This record gives sequence, structure tokens and C-alpha cells, in this order.
Amino acid sequence: MPLLSFEDLDLGHGAQVVLPQLSLSFEAGEHVALLGQSGAGKSTLLSEIRRRLASQAAWCPQGHGLVPLLSVYHNVYMGRLERHSALANLLNLLHPNRQAWPVVEALCDELGLEGLIRRPVAALSGGQRQRVAIARALYQARHVFLGDEPFASVDPHQALRLLEHIKRRHETSIVALHQHRLALQEFDRVIGLRDGGVILDAPTRKLDIAHLDALYPDAAQTEAGSETSSQARIGAS
Amino acid sequence: MSAAPGWLRGDSPGLTLARRTLALVAICIVLLPLADLRLLTADPWTELGRMLQGLVWPAWGALESPFNAIALTVSVALWGTFLGAMLGFPLALIFHRSRWVRGFCAFVRAIHELFWALLFLQVFGLSAVTALAALTIPYAGIFAKVYAEILELTPRGPRDALPHGTGRTSRFLYAELPLVWGRLASYTRYRFECGLRASVLLGFVGLPTLGFYLESAFREGRFGEAGALLWLFYGLIASLHWWGHRRLLPLLMLAALFWLGPLPDVDGALLWRFVSQDLWPAPLLAGDVAGLGAWLASIPDLLPAIGNTLLLALMGTVGSLVVALLLWPLASRHFAGPGVGGRLQRSLGRLALVMLRSTPELMLAFIFLLLLGPSMLPAWLALSLHNGALIAFLVARHADGLSLGMPDLNASGRYAYELLPRLYPNLLALICYRAEVILRETALLGMLGIATLGFYIDSSFEYLMFDQALFLLLITAGLNMLVDAVSRRFRPRDVPLDEPCT
Repeated sequence: MPLLSFEDLDLGHGAQVVLPQLSLSFEAGEHVALLGQSGAGKSTLLSEIRRRLASQAAWCPQGHGLVPLLSVYHNVYMGRLERHSALANLLNLLHPNRQAWPVVEALCDELGLEGLIRRPVAALSGGQRQRVAIARALYQARHVFLGDEPFASVDPHQALRLLEHIKRRHETSIVALHQHRLALQEFDRVIGLRDGGVILDAPTRKLDIAHLDALYPDAAQTEAGSETSSQARIGAS
Repeated sequence: MSAAPGWLRGDSPGLTLARRTLALVAICIVLLPLADLRLLTADPWTELGRMLQGLVWPAWGALESPFNAIALTVSVALWGTFLGAMLGFPLALIFHRSRWVRGFCAFVRAIHELFWALLFLQVFGLSAVTALAALTIPYAGIFAKVYAEILELTPRGPRDALPHGTGRTSRFLYAELPLVWGRLASYTRYRFECGLRASVLLGFVGLPTLGFYLESAFREGRFGEAGALLWLFYGLIASLHWWGHRRLLPLLMLAALFWLGPLPDVDGALLWRFVSQDLWPAPLLAGDVAGLGAWLASIPDLLPAIGNTLLLALMGTVGSLVVALLLWPLASRHFAGPGVGGRLQRSLGRLALVMLRSTPELMLAFIFLLLLGPSMLPAWLALSLHNGALIAFLVARHADGLSLGMPDLNASGRYAYELLPRLYPNLLALICYRAEVILRETALLGMLGIATLGFYIDSSFEYLMFDQALFLLLITAGLNMLVDAVSRRFRPRDVPLDEPCT
């Protein structure tokens, strides 16, 4: 029994189809990496998955989607906004909820945000914001983790540690990313998108770096080259 | 080889704007002979000399209880702005969904604060309620519009990141309001500064704010005292960031309640009579349609008044444009010389612009009127200088944010080739935004005796012909909404306005 499956589906925004005639299925319990260059349709696919799984899935969006003026605590708390009444949420803005505070604090400590829980997100570095976005997704406490480039602003070593936290708390995960080595070492399956279609869908044990580099138009790039270029792209954006 | 194009030929955006501007200026020049621009005083220079003397040597000793006037001015501005924001915010939330709300807001902000004051004066007398209502009502309309525009530009990222099933209220509180809070607050702050100016103006209808003492000092030729009051007002505006600090505001608001004093006694029967009978033409209440025609015909000089109002607004707009084009280099770093002299020159330029824009336009017109006599000339000067300086200040700030590609050009080259092409779309957009404000002020200047709509509104109130006053107010509001629609069409599109200055 698959968690989710698509049959011959056209995906896109409005009339513009990005991924025509897509057929894919996802099993519960597997960790899937989505690869492909920017604009290949990873975000489109993820938002459709998110729409279908609705409240089964925790969501960590591209570009963090944090509120700079609010504290780290409030940003993480937003992961469970729908589980409290509007009045409780309003009061929580004025005085933090007693039950939520220790849970959020423990989560932040675990992700390396010790002592930052009261600080406004506007005052954090890019890497720290990334962790807050992940903390907010973990705080949702769902079975499935959906992430759109959740490791874009951290170095490979930190990405590995964050991914371990995510996998410990989620039975299933579907994550778009650019770090090829991480995809090969830590995920069960890789789906590669290019030119509006799935050109690679295989268990990671059958893959090596050369397969993944073929997803990029400039296929001659070495792994090191593609890592730097993705880092450079993040730096520029 | 192709021939060089003729004058103003071409499709570049700069040329399009230049053609539009020149057309506007041409219309203004063609219509100029219709305006009454006579110089009616024999010797304006002596009078001007005495005024300047008063400004340079203010007679501080002559002031009687200036603290009361300042306290009332600030109290009215604080509570008027606060109540306006409280009413405007909920309206902003439904602004884009209801045509009725948009129409209502356009209407209430189309009538100047002083006209609202004249209306409420009939019911609440010279009391704080009149003053507060006069500020609160138009400000509610302005806040609704501007807040709605700010809310519309809320970044969507955080909202899309919220879990499924989040309620509307929670979404608004967490993922929308905090993102625009800074801009809402800074606009409210700006509006408070406008509120201070409006509160001063309320003195012109008799409420004892700073304007009341200013008017009588000027009218009676006590220029030393007037100078002292003006410096007090500039000081108040210049130190706003200091005494108007966020943490002090609650305290100030509490203290303000004391200065606003007790509520006036309102006779319910009189109020009802005013609203149900006095404000409406008698033939209309009697259902007499033929009589309505006669009533309409009895209003003196309606069409000339409308014509004068529109003409003066056009002249004021074009005048502001010219003044802004001439004055902005005064406050810009690109035109200041090197070293201490340059810095001094720029500071003086800034000070002059700040003084021109801080002086309420009615005050400015009043001063010019004393100098030049009651024609359209003083009104034109006041409108052009006040609004032109305000826009010049914003343009100079915009210019200081730009860096030059060819820093070695001479001043005229820098002005015409480097900076103006980049600044002009924004400048013209600001002027178009301002046209509506200028029209509202034009009507208001009638209160000084210039034959615009405001003159007839003021005299209708004076003769207790409230039906006529209301009718003229409605005409003024209608004109304002019309000009707003026209200028929105005329203004350059896709210009990011970094300053919500209207």
C-alpha cells in the first residue's frame, strides 16, 4: 500500500504545465531525495505532494518562510498554530504558552540553537534561520517530512546532522536538495528531474556520483565542482 | 545615415514623460490669464521686512501660556491620529473586498480636516470633541486606504509555510501582521506629524491650539510673538523623534486626556434638528422638485468657484513641480561642494526645505496674503512652495541613494544626464499623488478670502446656511475624487514609491 501515487498527471501552476504526464509513487517508510537543477520542477512536485498529504506531512519551505520580527520561539510555535484556538494563539504572542515553551526550548537546544529562543529571527544568521525553519517543521510532529532545499544555507557537515534529526523523528521523508553526496549516503531512493520529466528513479545502492551529475546540463562537472557551484548559487541568491 | 529626430520625438520613457509634463505646463500657461493674480498691497516689502525681523528676533516674553497651546495641539494630534488608526485598521481589512468601503473612505478623506471641524463646530461647539472628530474621520479614510495598500504587499512566504487548517485570525496574527508592522507603524508616525500640522490649523476656526495664537498674532501685526510661536512649532516637529518615543506614547496619551478636558454638553434635540433638517435644502425635505432648482440657483457664483478651485489646483500642481525641480539639488549630496562649506550648504538647504514643508500651507498662504493682498497669487505661492519643498526633500533623499556613473561631470551635466532621468518618474508620480492633496488645500485656502469653494463653504457656515454648506462640501468631495481618478491615470506606472507621503 503506497503512501501516495500519481498516474499520468500534469503538474504546474495554472495553465502552465511544468511536469507533464507524471507517474510516481511513494512508500511509507522510505527516505527520498529529489534532485535536479533549479527550475526542474522539484518545488512543483513537492507542493502537490504537500497538498495531497495535507495534515499528514510536516513542511519546511524553500527560503525558510520565517517571520523576522517574531522570536525564534514564536516562529517554531507556528508549526502547531492550527492546534490551538485563535484566542490561545493571540495570548501566546503576549505571554508564551507554558506547555509549549519547554517543548520548543528542548527542540531548539537539540538543533544547536541554544540560548537563542527569545531572539527575533531578524537577528539570526542564515544558518541559524535554516535551523529555525527545520525546528518549526519538527515541532509539527508528523509522520512524513517534506523539505524544499532545507539544507541550502548550511555546510555539508551540519546538513548531515540536521538530516539525522529529521530521520529520527520521521518515518518517511521527501527532501529536495543539491548535495549529491548527502543524497547518496543518507537516502534510500533518489528521484532526478530534468526537462520536465523524471529521468532517474532508483534506490541509492544502485547509483554513484556520475549518475547524479548527469541530471545537470553541464554533465562533465565533477562532484566537487557541482557542490561548489550550488554553494555559489546559494551565496548569490 | 539617418537624420536626427526632431524636438521631443521618440518613444523612450523619458521623452514620453517630458511630453506629458510639457502638455500639463502648457495647459496651465494657457489658462493662467483667467486667474486673478493682482498684487493688491502697495508696499509688501516693508511688511515682509517686519515679519522676517519677527522671525529672527522672536519676542519670547510676549507669549502667554504657550504650554497650554502646545499641550492641546499635541493632545488633539495624538488622539485624533490614534482614533483614526483604530477606525481605519478594520476598514483596511475589508478595503479591497467592498466597493462601498472604498467609496466611503474616498469620501471622508476628500473633505479637509478644517471643513469637518466647521461642520462639527455647529454641534459640539469649540470643544475637544469637535477637534478630535475633525481629525479622526478623514484620517480613518486615509489609514484605511494606506494600510490596505501596505497589507496587500505582505510577503507570502511565511503564510504558505503554515500548517494546514490554520485559522484566518491566527494566520493574520502570526504570518501577516508582524511582516508589515514596521511599515504600518512608520506610516502612522508620519500621519501623526500631519496631525500636528492639522491640529495647529484648527486654531483658525477658533480652537485654542497653537494656530489660534499664531493667527491672531499675525493678524494684529505682532510679528515678534508670531515668530516665537513659529519657532516653537518647528521645535516641536524637529524634536518629535525625541518626545514622541514609542515608550513615552502611552504616558503622553494619558496626559493628553487631561488637556482634552471634559466632554461638552450636547443638546440631543438640537443635534437631531441639525442632522435631520438644517443640513438639507428645505425644498428637498418638502419634496418640492421645482423649488430645488430655485434653491440651486440661489447659491452665489457656484460655477466660478468650481472653476477657480480647479484652476488654482492645476497652477499649484505645476508650481510644485517647478519648485521641486529647482530646489531638490539644495539638499542633495551630489551638489554640495567639498569639505565643511559643502556640508554647511547642504544643511542649510535641508533646513530651508524642512521649514517650508513643516509650515502648514494655510499658515504660509495667510502670511503671503498679508503681504500681497487677497488674490490667487499668495495662494499659488503657498501651495507651490509648501508642496514643492516637500517633494524636493523626498527627491533629494532618493538622489542621495544613487551613485553616479560619471562623477566628474559638471553640475548641469550631473543634473540633466545622470540624476534627473533616474529621478523624474518618481518625482512625477509624487506630484500626481500630491495633486489630490493640493486640490483639498485649494478649497481650504478659500477660508482666507480667495474665491475658491472654501470661501463659499466658510461663508455659508457663517450665515448659518448649513444646507448650502453641506451641498458645497459634497461638491468639493466630488471634485476631489474626480481629480484623484484623473491623476491616477496620468501618473507614471511601475514606479516604486518608497515614501508613502500622501
